[in-house]
Amino acid sequence: MLPLTIKAENRKLKGSVIWVACFLIPIIPAIMGTFNYWMNRTVLSGEWYSLWSQLTLFYSLLFYAPLVALYCSYLWRLEHLEHNWNVLMTLPVPVRDIFFGKLCVIIKVTLITQLWLYLLFCLCGKMAGFSGFPPVTILCWTLRGTMAALAIGSLQLLLSMCIRSFAIPVGLALLGSIFGFLIASFNKTASFLWPYSLMLLGMNSNDYEDRMAGQMIPFSVSTLAFFLLFGVTAIWLLKKRDVKA
Amino acid sequence: MNELTVEYRKQKHMFIWLIPLVFLAVIFLWSTAGQGGLSDYDLAQGYSYLLYLMPVLNCILMPVMLAVLSSRICDMEVKGGTWKLLFTLQEKSRFYDRKFLTEFLYLALFCVGELTVLLLCGMLLGYTEPLPVKQALLHLAATLLTGSAVLTLQHILSLLAANQFVPLLTGLAGSFLGLFSEFFPPALARLVLWGYFGAFTPYHMDWNNDAQKIILIHKSFPTGLFAGLFGFTVLSYLLCRHIFLKKEL
Repeated sequence: MLPLTIKAENRKLKGSVIWVACFLIPIIPAIMGTFNYWMNRTVLSGEWYSLWSQLTLFYSLLFYAPLVALYCSYLWRLEHLEHNWNVLMTLPVPVRDIFFGKLCVIIKVTLITQLWLYLLFCLCGKMAGFSGFPPVTILCWTLRGTMAALAIGSLQLLLSMCIRSFAIPVGLALLGSIFGFLIASFNKTASFLWPYSLMLLGMNSNDYEDRMAGQMIPFSVSTLAFFLLFGVTAIWLLKKRDVKA
Repeated sequence: MNELTVEYRKQKHMFIWLIPLVFLAVIFLWSTAGQGGLSDYDLAQGYSYLLYLMPVLNCILMPVMLAVLSSRICDMEVKGGTWKLLFTLQEKSRFYDRKFLTEFLYLALFCVGELTVLLLCGMLLGYTEPLPVKQALLHLAATLLTGSAVLTLQHILSLLAANQFVPLLTGLAGSFLGLFSEFFPPALARLVLWGYFGAFTPYHMDWNNDAQKIILIHKSFPTGLFAGLFGFTVLSYLLCRHIFLKKEL
């Protein structure tokens, strides 16, 4: 049943405004990050790494999670309208498939966003006059950041499922990101315990050296644990709690 | 019944006051984080540092906060789909103004709250610098004005967009643009509406490499820019109001 729910969720996204966010938001850090790099290129000497730091500095710190939150709110929006919760819950579809169907689509859209950002990064690097191609490690950081979306996606889907307001989960994601940034600034180990810090760690923004070197296991365990925690909670709520249509 | 009271009745059990309050709590946490054990030099410019920091934080937080606030307040009418019925009870223009006024009051509450955070930090951390009252009040006025300009845009978007995705996306993009504009030359940064949160900052930061210290240099208040933004806000409000009144809902 899961492939069918994914298909249904994908159909909802056909011609939707979600793609505007997916393609528009990464353009902002790409243009502005490159501009910032160009203005400070005498100080920033790491070429591709320096450009990456400028591009992803604020994106991963503060805006990545709210962007995922925006996607999640959009995916639950239809269910919160009219009496669609009643329709959804009476469908002969296991609730876990409903949730994981949405999560798969979130991961897909997030992956597209991340790859689009990476493509823009390559284009901006070429425009800045860098030779060759960007180091493979940067692509790994991009994908590692996407992996963290598994935890944030589950959490935001849970929040958007429980909170009928479209806006509140997005605001919460921004606040969560700020806490994530503060936690990561003061205690790196503690940031594995806060889901919103994972994207920041995964994308290795504002650093030439891989800050996660040798720490892929705690990072993966943390991502998986949050994914399971929020996923199981959401499914449990869907099974046990009466819907408010 | 007073139309403003009606607006507040509509918001019963929605806990909208929590939105500015939670954002204020974040500003407080950010302002105090890592400020334990400040040196005498830091304590002697504590308020100035916060008045330098707060406009930057506002650039990040306020566009999203205002988008959430506006969306939450306007969403009920959009979701309800009862525009026609509503406008048989209340004039369209009055509805638009009262809704905006409600949002503006929350914004004002937030701005006053920010000054309270400033005072609270001073008391808790023991700043030795006397409170720069004039700079603090100018910060309040500038935040209120820039917030109103952004709110004007968010207000019309939240009312007209059938899908609240659009106002939220605008808020998020605004936050991004506003923050980046802080690093741009001033002439370019002034083209970004959300960047105005940082345009009226009363201090300019400099780094003294020899002394390894941050030096905050006082800046004169850009009165012309403030007047220009005020004019822009009034005009954009009237334009948005006109669009709303002409729009068939």
